[in-house]
Amino acid sequence: MAPSKKKHAKTTEACVIPGGFTVLSLQFNSDSEAQHKLYVKEHKVRAERSSHRPLDRTLFVLNIPPYCSQDVIKELFSQFGSVQSVELGDHPGSFQQSGPRLSRVFRPAEKQGFKVGYVVFQNSSGVTEAKSHPNNVPLIVSTGEHPVKTGVHKWIQQYTQSFTESDKLQKIVDSFMEDYDKRKEEESERQKQEAEQQQEDEEGWVKVTKGNKSTKARPHSEAANQKAIQREMRKKQRKELMNFYTWQHRNTQKEHIAELRKKFEEDKQKISLLRAQRKFRPY
Amino acid sequence: MKNTQTAAEMILPDSSHEEEENKAPAKAKRSKPEEDEGEEVVYHPVKLSRSDLYRPPTAEELNQLKEAESLFHCSLLKMQMEELLKEVALSERRKEQIDSFVQTLTKLLQTVPQSPEVEVSDMSWLSGAVKVPFLLVPKTPKGKFHMAPPASVDLIGSYPLGTCTKPRIVVDLAVTIPADILHPKDVLNQRYPRKRALYLAGLAQHLTSSSDIGTMHYSCLHGNRLRPVLLLTPPGKESSIFTVRVHACPPPGFYKPSRFHPQRNNIRTEWYTGLQASQSGSDEPPTPHYNSSVLGDLLPRAHLQFLSAVSSQCSAFPYGVALLKVWLHQRELDQGTGCFNGFLASMLLAYLLTTHRISNTMTAYQLLRNSLNFLASTDLTENGISLARDPDSTAPSLADFHNAFQVVFVDPSGHLNMCADMTACTYKQLQHEASVSMQFWDDPTVDGFHSLLMIPKPMIRTSDHVFQLCEPAKLQYSCKKLNLLSELMDHSGNYVHTALPFILSLLQRGFGQRINLLTHSLSPEPKWSVESEAPKHKAQPPLSFGLLLRPELAASVLERGPPADSPKAAEFRQLWGSRSELRRFQDGAITEAVLWDGQSTYQKQLVPRQIITHLLQLHADIPESCVRYVGAKMDDVIKVGREVPSTGEEESLLVIQSYDDLSRKLWQLEGLPLSITSVQGAHPALRYTQVFPPLPLKMDYSFFDKEKFSRSLVPKEGKPCPAYITPITVICHMEGSGKWPHDRLAIRHIRAAFHIRLGELLKKHHNYTYNASPTHLDIWKDGLVFRIQVAYHREPQVLRESVTAEGLLVLRDNEEAQALEMAIIHRPLLTSTLHGLQQQHPCFGAVCRLAKRWLGAQLFSEDITEDTADLLVASLFLQPAPFTPPGSPQVGFLRFLHLLSSFDWRNNPLVVNLNNQLTAPDYTEIKNDFMASRESLPVMFIATPKDKKLSMWTKQAPSVQMLQRAVMVAAESLKVLEHQLMDGGQIQDVRVVMRPPLDAYDVLIHLNPKQVPLLSQAVDPPAVTFSRGVMTGSVAQSGGALPVIDYNPVSLYLAELRDAFGDLALFFCDPYGGTVIAVLWKPNAFSPVPFKTSQVSARNVKVTGDEAKTVPNVEAILEDFQVIGKGLVKSLEARTERWSF
Repeated sequence: MAPSKKKHAKTTEACVIPGGFTVLSLQFNSDSEAQHKLYVKEHKVRAERSSHRPLDRTLFVLNIPPYCSQDVIKELFSQFGSVQSVELGDHPGSFQQSGPRLSRVFRPAEKQGFKVGYVVFQNSSGVTEAKSHPNNVPLIVSTGEHPVKTGVHKWIQQYTQSFTESDKLQKIVDSFMEDYDKRKEEESERQKQEAEQQQEDEEGWVKVTKGNKSTKARPHSEAANQKAIQREMRKKQRKELMNFYTWQHRNTQKEHIAELRKKFEEDKQKISLLRAQRKFRPY
Repeated sequence: MKNTQTAAEMILPDSSHEEEENKAPAKAKRSKPEEDEGEEVVYHPVKLSRSDLYRPPTAEELNQLKEAESLFHCSLLKMQMEELLKEVALSERRKEQIDSFVQTLTKLLQTVPQSPEVEVSDMSWLSGAVKVPFLLVPKTPKGKFHMAPPASVDLIGSYPLGTCTKPRIVVDLAVTIPADILHPKDVLNQRYPRKRALYLAGLAQHLTSSSDIGTMHYSCLHGNRLRPVLLLTPPGKESSIFTVRVHACPPPGFYKPSRFHPQRNNIRTEWYTGLQASQSGSDEPPTPHYNSSVLGDLLPRAHLQFLSAVSSQCSAFPYGVALLKVWLHQRELDQGTGCFNGFLASMLLAYLLTTHRISNTMTAYQLLRNSLNFLASTDLTENGISLARDPDSTAPSLADFHNAFQVVFVDPSGHLNMCADMTACTYKQLQHEASVSMQFWDDPTVDGFHSLLMIPKPMIRTSDHVFQLCEPAKLQYSCKKLNLLSELMDHSGNYVHTALPFILSLLQRGFGQRINLLTHSLSPEPKWSVESEAPKHKAQPPLSFGLLLRPELAASVLERGPPADSPKAAEFRQLWGSRSELRRFQDGAITEAVLWDGQSTYQKQLVPRQIITHLLQLHADIPESCVRYVGAKMDDVIKVGREVPSTGEEESLLVIQSYDDLSRKLWQLEGLPLSITSVQGAHPALRYTQVFPPLPLKMDYSFFDKEKFSRSLVPKEGKPCPAYITPITVICHMEGSGKWPHDRLAIRHIRAAFHIRLGELLKKHHNYTYNASPTHLDIWKDGLVFRIQVAYHREPQVLRESVTAEGLLVLRDNEEAQALEMAIIHRPLLTSTLHGLQQQHPCFGAVCRLAKRWLGAQLFSEDITEDTADLLVASLFLQPAPFTPPGSPQVGFLRFLHLLSSFDWRNNPLVVNLNNQLTAPDYTEIKNDFMASRESLPVMFIATPKDKKLSMWTKQAPSVQMLQRAVMVAAESLKVLEHQLMDGGQIQDVRVVMRPPLDAYDVLIHLNPKQVPLLSQAVDPPAVTFSRGVMTGSVAQSGGALPVIDYNPVSLYLAELRDAFGDLALFFCDPYGGTVIAVLWKPNAFSPVPFKTSQVSARNVKVTGDEAKTVPNVEAILEDFQVIGKGLVKSLEARTERWSF
């Protein structure tokens, strides 16, 4: 974007592109000459299960530069209405992780690339406000009041924050393991109950339930299946007699010659390949 | 010229289009994506139809198959040799060309006009345009000379015999000087050789007027100035194809052979020195070399007859000779003074045939094998051989020959020693080569054909150290000092050849057990235009000598001599002169000894240089300035020592000792819930291959900030980046037990608990400062940081397991599991294996470090990783054929470059036989598996005993393009480097190969040197240095605040750049102190793509009608480079002119 262009286009129109996205400009600080473009749109999916992204109040934001953290985005979008929450991720879609919640130190490192975000406003006016924001008024990431650290400052900060006290870490581990043991116990409890259900009641009836085949104590594994097949094969082979009949002997010889021939042909092909590449010129 | 071109072609696979790429590789890469890969012939597994495979065999076919199976390792070798022979044989068309040219030449020669008789010294009959090819000192004796047409003109040598091969086709033509020009007494005092030279000059004068001749040069046979020859080429464009060499010979039988007995004198001292000799003629010293050079002129026709007779009986004879010639040529043994040329090769085969060591029915393959076997097992310097069946009574005995010459191989006449000019060293080299060749020929795991006949062995890549005598003229003084007047007379004034054998034996004595082999370059045959004077002896290029070191003894600083009172002591003192002194040793012995200087390995490996300069100065009057020692020239770039220059061996050892101590302490820990089952290093520093081994540091606390809780040091804002401290990874396996949970997250937490516990225990017992984190435990010990990672051997298995919807437990490989397995199993194993290799080959580590320094400097570190590079270097030591394992870092590095550039990565797997675990069947298996699924395997395929099918070390990188570039750069570097090392006249700056051309890149990000912590490791370290919070002084063993670990802004910056822009561009940086990040846009980065929610990162939308397309937002990206690297980036250099949108 050349600065001259900015002066000319003094319209207050929002820029909407095919696909329904509104283009917002974003620049790092007020001195920046180049701008990134954010593409925003109201969040719309056919079947949204997660309740934390209400359809009418959520704004879907694409192309968020790496130096914009959740807080920065929250700050930026507050001008359109108060922001309830911000989620950032690498790809569109659900960021929810299955399994138990992990503490910060145990979470794998995040990728520091461009992100997509879901901004949830307090009320739906924020979404429309953001969508009608004019293209030529850029959002500014790092301002005097809220400077954003990048480069060496950021790395030093990161390094400083990377330390965790041993006691604290130990506590995190302990609480997780306690939780884990509890879950483990519950699991075994559940299995026991299910196993009980399968047993005959006093009148000799067995309750047959639908589905949930994982009721066995150990799931049967692929490796075990494979082993069984191999065992069968071996048994078969052991029973076979080699070179007993004349025709068998003849066959073996025939196979041998075929083998030699095949090798010869292979070699010949290799040579022709090498020759094509002129690999025989000694100097 | 042609030679070098074809050589270059061989080095570069698919060179045709790469040569153009030379200048702008990136550009070419962009315009030509992978399509041209597909054009090449690709190997597909053979599919024979059933009927083809199972049809009844004919007897002939059966024979052929059987022969191929039993005679050769496999039929492949046989076929390869046949193909090779086709390549070197002369085509029919070429032969016709040669025949017709020889015919015209013969006619021309017959018409040489008669000229009036003049004195030999009178050369007025020659026009000024043609000079006499002879050094006319001392003055010409009396005699008459006149020109006359030759008595006969015949073809001799290899061409009529059918053993002439490409390239450098030379056709020998013998022109018989008419008998009336010569006089039987002419053999005396160089009269005959001078007449011969005059006659050649006469012929040359006659031929200058003819238009049928292309160029005319003089040369001399095998560099012998007494035997000038005339080199003629055909006119026009054929001139470079072949050369006709015109020899002038006396009529057969003109001189009696008995006159040339090696004990007889044919040059009078009185005539040679010009002084009136006081003694009588009978005391004259014998002149064996002069005699044999005259005699050599008499016999070529007889030799041709003899060889033709032998050849006619053995059909494979010409092919055997051709193979032998190729073998010799690759070893640089077939040209120059005292070489083992094609003629000797034919004579050797003839000898083996006539003595029935090989039979007439053998194939070329067997002839080559038997002759190499013979060479390897026979020492011609001790027991000469003779082709003479029944020599006449006047013929000298073998003992006579041995007295006069170093190597003895007598021709069929019984009078001529064909190896007269050969030095014992050259023959030893030949023997060594033959025995090495036999060794790897018998090894089924080596590609015998390739190493035997295809790989050239130039001296700089063969010998561990090389040195040159720069000014051959200085050898004149040596002759004087060594008192070699009569030998000088015998060699007719050629002081280089006179002094050479004496210098060689002197050095051999001086080196003793330190070397395996001493070789020297064969001085090339001079070649000069007919219009210029014969060049002087001093015009020779410098003599090069090669040393094959014995690693365990070569670097010893002490030369222990005999006890002071033994008779040998005098000899020892005589050899070493003033350097020899009496010393008392710990065992009580008092002996003569010489002590050389040297503390570090780097200094010690230059002990041979001290020996050479000392001995040459002392005994041969050759000043030190004349000796150019080429060894350890590369090592500058990995030098680390401060007071004592060192290349890091000592520092590595220190790290390993500290690690051993830590390992012992870990084993001894008590109070762990589970016991430790193994402690393994998994870091290059623990196998001697870290380019710059970590140095123990002492921190200056005032330079840093402190963290609140742990009181660890953290970098201070506004100060230069603190010194980089490498964490040295140590893997600590814990005992397997039922207590381990069977869940990935739980395992991760338990590991963290172990890290804390280990840290606490180490703190308690040994007072080490530690920092525990979920992934590792850092220990600050002896000024080094060890990063301990606890591992559980079943964890990769747990990561692989998953349960399907049906409740079936399946194992699915995934990247996470592979990465973990690599870190906790494969890397520690590789580290300990390579550590073992270092124990066998002391220079392994140094070679690795040089290689990795080069890769880093050329910006390949990301593509050819540390582990890959170490494996490549390991292969040089484990399978050195056709060389011996490298004995110095320099030669190892050169071979690394050669391997990288010449290996056929597309069609071959590189098998690295670590610990010698692979057998021949394994090799075939690896090869077959590789062939069967080539397309899906990594471009650079490296197989190891633990990894035969996948090549896990090269799975991620390099890509095709990067490998191609690496191959190209390696070839170029090798060329530049070898040129520089062998030629003292060049600018001597080996760092040239470490400075990558940056003009191929699109954006250069210049970094602020203040924030580059490894600045001092740069190829060209800048003059300014920054304080980095390090104090001098002794390093505390334990305690103290935890320093700043693994904090390198450059790598953090690179990681962020790759995360954000990895799909648009490639980022390159030298990890060792590079201050530039080179950015290259990906080939199709700028092509517009349709708007998609998953593909809008850093892109601008362009709306055309109803369609929205996106292109990269370059301005914003460039600004982001600055924003992300704030404080680190100094300036940005965008080369917009290179970009193609």
